[in-house]
Amino acid sequence: MLSPEKDTELRQKIAHGFVVETEEDMTPGYKAALEVILTVQGDTELVSAPAYYFASKDAPTINSRLAVYAIIQDELGHANIAYRLLEDLGVSKQWLIYGRQPHEFKHPYGFDQPLENWAEMVVANGFFDRAGITLLSDVHKNCSYGPWQRALTKVDREEVLHLRHGESWMKRLAKTGGAAKEALQRAVDWMFPITLEWFGLPDYLKKHNDQLEYRLKGLSNDQLRQVWMSATVPLCESIGIKVPAHYDEAQKHYVIEYPFPCEYDFTDKHWFFDQPIAWEQVFKRWKRRGPMNQTYINMLQGDKQGTFGGLQWN
Amino acid sequence: MSDTRTIWRALSEVMDPELPISIVDLGLIYDVRLQQSNAEIDLTFTAIACPAMNMIIDDVREKLQTLPGISETRVNVVWNPPWTKTRLTAQGREALLSLGIAV
Repeated sequence: MLSPEKDTELRQKIAHGFVVETEEDMTPGYKAALEVILTVQGDTELVSAPAYYFASKDAPTINSRLAVYAIIQDELGHANIAYRLLEDLGVSKQWLIYGRQPHEFKHPYGFDQPLENWAEMVVANGFFDRAGITLLSDVHKNCSYGPWQRALTKVDREEVLHLRHGESWMKRLAKTGGAAKEALQRAVDWMFPITLEWFGLPDYLKKHNDQLEYRLKGLSNDQLRQVWMSATVPLCESIGIKVPAHYDEAQKHYVIEYPFPCEYDFTDKHWFFDQPIAWEQVFKRWKRRGPMNQTYINMLQGDKQGTFGGLQWN
Repeated sequence: MSDTRTIWRALSEVMDPELPISIVDLGLIYDVRLQQSNAEIDLTFTAIACPAMNMIIDDVREKLQTLPGISETRVNVVWNPPWTKTRLTAQGREALLSLGIAV
């Protein structure tokens, strides 16, 4: 490990294309930032398993349910990749999965919510996996940490399939019309704003840019949000699904049509576009965690008093 | 006008939804028949419950629709003989290896 005084020098080296391969190349600041971003990725992949599992129960056909199981299997593999990389940095995988309380997991608030029907399942693939691929393909392209950058080749491929699954089903539900399209619109109504928040603070409010300065990612929060919208807004517009955003020709970027951020009621999945809130209140909402946080994590950690005596792996 | 060769060529442009390999290189296409303007494709999948089945069938239909002289496309999913790795073309094998998938 390099001493902290070497931090500025390390950032400069990275800006010139230096690739970090081992701890010897890192300062404590780099390692800490890397651990956070890897934990967020691992946790997000891991918690999508129970989230998608419940939604899969509403799959309309045997094959479509099996498709979700294949997606779950992929996500568990992706979680393992992130946790394995953390293991190489000295973090215990056992602790990561079984040692933390539900509220200590670092996945986005969207994955603390229930996915209660097939429309929500496919919008999760179309929106949440789209957010995932937006973030991870930025990392795969730009990340200064070699081992993670390389490991994302396989992840990227598999996420492309998840995305296609979501988007092709969204198109199909919209084309079917009637109750199917209504369910799709209701899903989009709560899931579009929740995914916009996923990308974090707007750039002008960000005080710490460690992730960018260590080049753990290449694009800023707002840039990533724009990339995500450039895929999801045209998709929804093309299938006659309303979204509260559009491309502004004059400003040459996607504009959010409601005060962002605003109040959210998780009990009926309702966003109050007439109640803007400050980001501090968003953080408080995230800190309170969402309704499924405990259920999802309990499912992953296994019930130690249960029939199988808890699930432990070596 | 299209003939079976044109159809095979078009099918070699249909990619697996996940991996950058065509369904022809993957060895999924068992037979191509053309009667007047009706195309009939026999294909299989690498696994009985492949999650990409519907996507691949949709892509095949969409691709063949672009060919002049094809008005109808019928896709038959067959499971005999079962797909094995031996059905990969040399190009297919290379593509998979480059992704770190051992074949």
